[in-house]
Parts: sequence; C-alpha cells; structure tokens
Amino acid sequence: MDFGLNEIGEILKKSARDFLIAECPKSYIKEMAKDEKGYRPEIWRKMADLGWMGLMFPQKYGGGEGSFLDLVVLLEEMGRACLPGPFFSTVLLGGMTILDAGNEKQKSELLPLIAQGKLIVTMALLEPHSTYSEENIKMEAIDSSDSYMITGTKLFVPDAHVSDYIICAARNKSRLTNKDGISLFLVDTKSPGIKTTLLKTLAGDKQCEVRFEKVKMSRESILGELHRGWPCVQRIIHKAAISKCAEMIGGAQQVLEMTVDYVKQRIQFGRPIGSFQSIQNYCVQMLTDVETSRFITYQAAWKISEGLPYANDVAMAKAWVSDAYRRVVTLGHQCFGGTAYMEDHSLHLYLTRAKAAELAFGDADFHRESLALGMGL
Amino acid sequence: MNFKFTDEEEKLRQKVIDFLRKEVTPEVVAEQQPLYRQFNQWAPLTSRIIRKMGEKGWLVPNWPRKYGGLDMSNTTTFMIHDEMSYFHLPDIFMGALWAGPTLMKYGSEELKNEFLLPLARGEIEFAVSYTEPEAGCDLSNIQMRAIDKGDYFLLNGQKMFTSAASCGRYAWLAARTDIENPKKHRGISMFIVDLKSPGVTIRLMQTIGDWANNEVFYDDVKVPKKYLVGELNRGFYYMMAALEYERMFPVGWWRRIFDDLVAYTKEAKLNGKALGQNTLVRQKLAQLAIELEITRLLYYRIAFLIDKGIAPSYESSMEKLFWGELSQRLSNVGLQVLGLYGQLKQGSKWAPLDGIIERHYRSTICETLAAGTSEIQKNIIAQRGLELPVNY
Repeated sequence: MDFGLNEIGEILKKSARDFLIAECPKSYIKEMAKDEKGYRPEIWRKMADLGWMGLMFPQKYGGGEGSFLDLVVLLEEMGRACLPGPFFSTVLLGGMTILDAGNEKQKSELLPLIAQGKLIVTMALLEPHSTYSEENIKMEAIDSSDSYMITGTKLFVPDAHVSDYIICAARNKSRLTNKDGISLFLVDTKSPGIKTTLLKTLAGDKQCEVRFEKVKMSRESILGELHRGWPCVQRIIHKAAISKCAEMIGGAQQVLEMTVDYVKQRIQFGRPIGSFQSIQNYCVQMLTDVETSRFITYQAAWKISEGLPYANDVAMAKAWVSDAYRRVVTLGHQCFGGTAYMEDHSLHLYLTRAKAAELAFGDADFHRESLALGMGL
Repeated sequence: MNFKFTDEEEKLRQKVIDFLRKEVTPEVVAEQQPLYRQFNQWAPLTSRIIRKMGEKGWLVPNWPRKYGGLDMSNTTTFMIHDEMSYFHLPDIFMGALWAGPTLMKYGSEELKNEFLLPLARGEIEFAVSYTEPEAGCDLSNIQMRAIDKGDYFLLNGQKMFTSAASCGRYAWLAARTDIENPKKHRGISMFIVDLKSPGVTIRLMQTIGDWANNEVFYDDVKVPKKYLVGELNRGFYYMMAALEYERMFPVGWWRRIFDDLVAYTKEAKLNGKALGQNTLVRQKLAQLAIELEITRLLYYRIAFLIDKGIAPSYESSMEKLFWGELSQRLSNVGLQVLGLYGQLKQGSKWAPLDGIIERHYRSTICETLAAGTSEIQKNIIAQRGLELPVNY
C-alpha cells in the first residue's frame, strides 16, 4: 500500500497551489460571489494554458493523458483555494460525460475546445422536487420526424448562465414509465427557448434554474445511446461525488491549518489558547476528520483510476466527507471565536462551501442509503 | 497512491485465510468465547493454531528469518493479524508485536537470541507491565524500584492491570532505577522478568468483559543483570517507542461482528418486516461500515509508514482513538438494532447471535482505556501531530 502521492502528483499539487495562491486571493473569491459571471476569463485562460481543463483527456483530444487521481489532486487544491468558476461543470459534468458517452465526432470536436478553455459545458439533471434518481427525471423529449423537442425546468444547474452547452437528461414520451428511457441531449445554449436564471445560494456559487420551452434539437445532438443515458449519468454522478470530496478535503485542510495557526498565536489567560485541552481536542477531531476524509476519498479515486468496481467506495467517501467537512468548519469557527463570525474574515467562505458541497451529488444520508443497498440490505 | 496489497502479500493473505478457514473450527471459537479475545493465546486448541502459524513465520513476517520471520513487509504482519482477528483468534501479541521491535533495536545479542525466536514462534508471551496504582496515564510516575545489587537487580513494588500475567511467562516491565534525577522519566529502566521468580504474586482481577486482568506484586524479586533491556535509565523512551507499535489494533474482530450483525438484519423480522429494511437501521449500519473502513485505512497507514522507514507517531494514536471509540459505537448500534433481544446473554434461548453483542457491549468499555486512554491519545495527536503546546 502507498498512502502518498507519486512524483507527478506532488509536482501537480505544488504548481496548482502556487498558481492559486497568486491568482485566487480571498478578495477575488468574495468579488466573484457578487459578480454575475462568477469568474474572470483571463484566469480561466491561464488555467487552460497550464493544461488543467484537458488534464485527463487523451492526447488526441488535446489532453494531458492524466489519470482521474491526478484530477483529484488538482481539485483538492481548488477546494483549498475556494476557486470560483466553471471548472467543475466544464470538466467533470461536461468533458467527462462527452468522453464517456460521446461519439467520435462529438469528442474530436468538443474535447479539444474544452482543453483549450474555449468551451464551457454543464449538465442539467435535477428537476423541481427531485433528487439524484432515474425515476425522478420527468422532462419530456418529444420525438418528431427529424428532431426532438424538450420542454421543462431543470434546477441546480451549475454555471448554466455562462455555458456554451448544457448536457440535458430527458425522457421520451413513449417511454415515460420505463426505467431505461433517459437520453442525454447536448443542447446549444443559443437555441431558442432557453431561459436561465441565477439562483441565490448560500455559498454565492452559480447555480441556475434553466427553463426549456419547446427547445428543438437535431438527432445528432444525442450524446450516447438513445434511452440508455442513465448508466452514463450514474457514472458521472459517482465521479462528480468523488471530485466534490476532493474539493472538500482541500477546503478542510485549509481550515485546519488556519485554525491551528490561530490557536497557537491567540493569547488568553496569559497563554496560547491552543494549550487548552478543550481547544486541542477540537483540533484533534479536525485533524482526524481531514486525514480520514483524504484516505477514503483517495481510495475511491484510486479505484476509479484503476478501473476497479467503485460504487460502494464512492458512497462511503461522500457520506463520510460530507459530515466530516461540516464538523471541521464548525469546530474551526468555535476555535476562532467571534473574530471569524465577521464578514471580513475568510473562514465563512469554507462554512458555506462545505454545506453546498455536502448537498451536491448526494448528501451523507443519500450515500449511506446507496451503501446499504450495495451491502445487500 | 495504491490501496492494494502487493502480489506477494496478497498471495500470502489467501494462504492465511485458507489456513484459518480450515483450522478455526467451531470448537476453537467456543474455546475462545468465555475468555474474550486478547489474552488467551494459551487456551489449548488456540495455542496449537498460533504455534502452527508461528512455525510458518506468520506471526511476525516482517522480522528477519534468523529470528523467525520471513523478511517481508510490516504491511504483511498487519494484514495477517487483521485476518486472525477476523477469525476470532487473539489479535494482540504483546511480546512479539509490542516489545519485539524495541528488543530487536535495543536489546543485547544475548537477549535477542533468548527471546525473539520463541516470541516469533508463539511459544512464549510477555505481560506488558507499566501501569501501577499511581502511574496510569502518567507513566513517568512509576514507583517500582529496581536496585542494583551487583550481579542482579532487586525488584520491589506493585503493577496493576497487567494483562496476560496469568498466561504469559515473562513480564516486560518498567521500574525506577534512579530516584535522584528530578526529571522522573529519566530514571526508569526496562527489564524482562520471569514471572515464575520467587517473590512474584499474581492476583486475578475479574473484568466486566468476561476476562481476567491481573495485579502483580514483586517482593524482593531478583532479576539477573542480563535481563536489563538496552541502557540503564532509558526505559521511558523505550516504553514510548513500544507504545507506538502497541497502538496497532486490527479491525478484523469488529468487522466480523458487523458482518454477522448485517447478515442477521437481513433475516430477522420485527413487526413482520426484515430489520434491515428499516431506514434508521440501514443508516446506522452503513455508517458503521464506513467507520470500519476508515479504521482499516488508519491501521494500514501505520504499516505503510513503518515500511517506508518512518517511525509512527501521532498516526498510531489516531488509529487507537478511532478504533476504540468505534468499538463502542458498534456495540451500541448492535444493541439498538437488536432491541430488547440484544440484552440476552450467551446461552439464552432467545439471544440473537449467541449474545456476542451483549458481551461486546461490556468488554469494549476497556477499548478507550487500555493502551492509553482516548484522552491520552488526543494529547499525543495534539502535541505531536499538530505541535500544540503542552499544558500539564
């Protein structure tokens, strides 16, 4: 067994950290939370120049041939920096889905553009009153002779307001009751009938309501097999959940470091508060949560990279990390006292992102139930 | 990053599992049960299996061949003990796993030749003897005196909670050899003491977990000079180093209980419905599965560090802390899931899983106390893992 990163992983981690320290200060994050776009295109271009968007695409699509594990290393650093912007949607929800389900034409057209930072893509999955399950995708795609037409509302679509394409999961009317009726459509956001509204969120991240009103799509816009889209969605949800965990462990690590530095410096009763056992116990809980979260996330990511079965590992990781990151931030707040309750401070950036990440791609209860199913219960 | 065993390790693991499937018969399990898990290597059937494993080098495969090992990785040793634990065999070998590495590093050639091979073969066991009535968590406060009498040391004092003193042949014992030094931890030395020596009195202390611990009295016990381990007055440091190895607690035993519990909930019905269909039960069992996996990772992280040549530090404490607290959550959830039936003891007609969880509920009270309480582990993690200031 090897619990450490390999040399490439270490180099990637360091270069990502250096870049993000320089380009993504806390002032930028706070500014972008209020900015309508939510990111600055020049930083996006620099990230593309570093090869981040295409990190794990094959070389023939302009990618870096990296592994899923490499991507996880990068995402950990992004989570540490609270990097705003559509990287997660474009690479995980867009790029990975196209790589998974796309035909040769779609892959060779779109993936190089993503790798170059010229294309922003996202996925529209959830609908009002639904969660991450096949049965709850009700949006209809009506089949007419040469095209499909979709109508309905999708919610919590990340970065849809800046996306060039939305991969939309919809169901054919004739198959409305069947379990295997889901198809994935690659929708050009310039198509008539699409209305995107930004939702006001806890973390100031850009999640949208997307309304599709008789949006017409050609047959070529189907991604993958007709009516057989769900297994792909399932794989992407799993990978997205682990990618979310990666961001979360990066954030949790940063909160731990900030907190430990603070309690060593903050003097009360004539000594650092970090010498008090109550505070030490909180810090120990935080360290334990951070390290265990990292191991369980990396184990799942490693299995994905190695092509081993990973469903139960993903469920374990997302359930554990969802609870652990929230514990880490709330204990961090307790150690910081009133000072971090102020908006000037940066700890609350992690508080809100921890909660948003906890809810995304299944919270702890959701994944514990998946695991129970996986255990044959 | 790599979360699997090497091919060589995996091959051996399969061999060990095949061996255990064959050898650990219901009679062996029955023999173990009234004694609880740790300190009963010497129950006859169990002892035979342990010795067979020892002969193959399986108890300490990381040791050199000349001392009875296989020159393999530490991960191999951790892995085999995890499997043994899953099969309800004793999983704590104080002599081989805790004292052994210290003995190998600091002991004289004579001591190594006398003890390492029998420890590796499972022929003898050490009773770790640090704790005293006034030296629990605060081990630097050891009072037992060892006075240099020329060709021997004269031992006087009392040890408490000496697990395995009744079945181990030797004590791995810390005693005070310097009372002048104001730094108390610099006046302690480590000895190997034959528990059959004149002047040793062992008194059983029955635990609430169905096994007996011991109180050991030493009255003018003569310990030959050669049984001083390493240097005089360095014992506290050896003890601390050994404690880091001591904190390797396999999760196999808990996983076995968990697997049995899960299997039970798939079959057993409450109000006409399988227990395992209840949402709350599913949530609790899934959470335990996750925490068992976390403990497994913390456990193998220690082996990974040792294999890389890094002495484990706070990492061992983290595993012990998580492991101990999980053992109590496991028994608590177990009893919650079993409801009223969970309280029934082994042998009772209505007892689910033959009362194992009822027993576990009592016995695991010890797991957050022995080998360093949870609070001590937290101190170590805070001070060594996070470099927070000491304040006591």
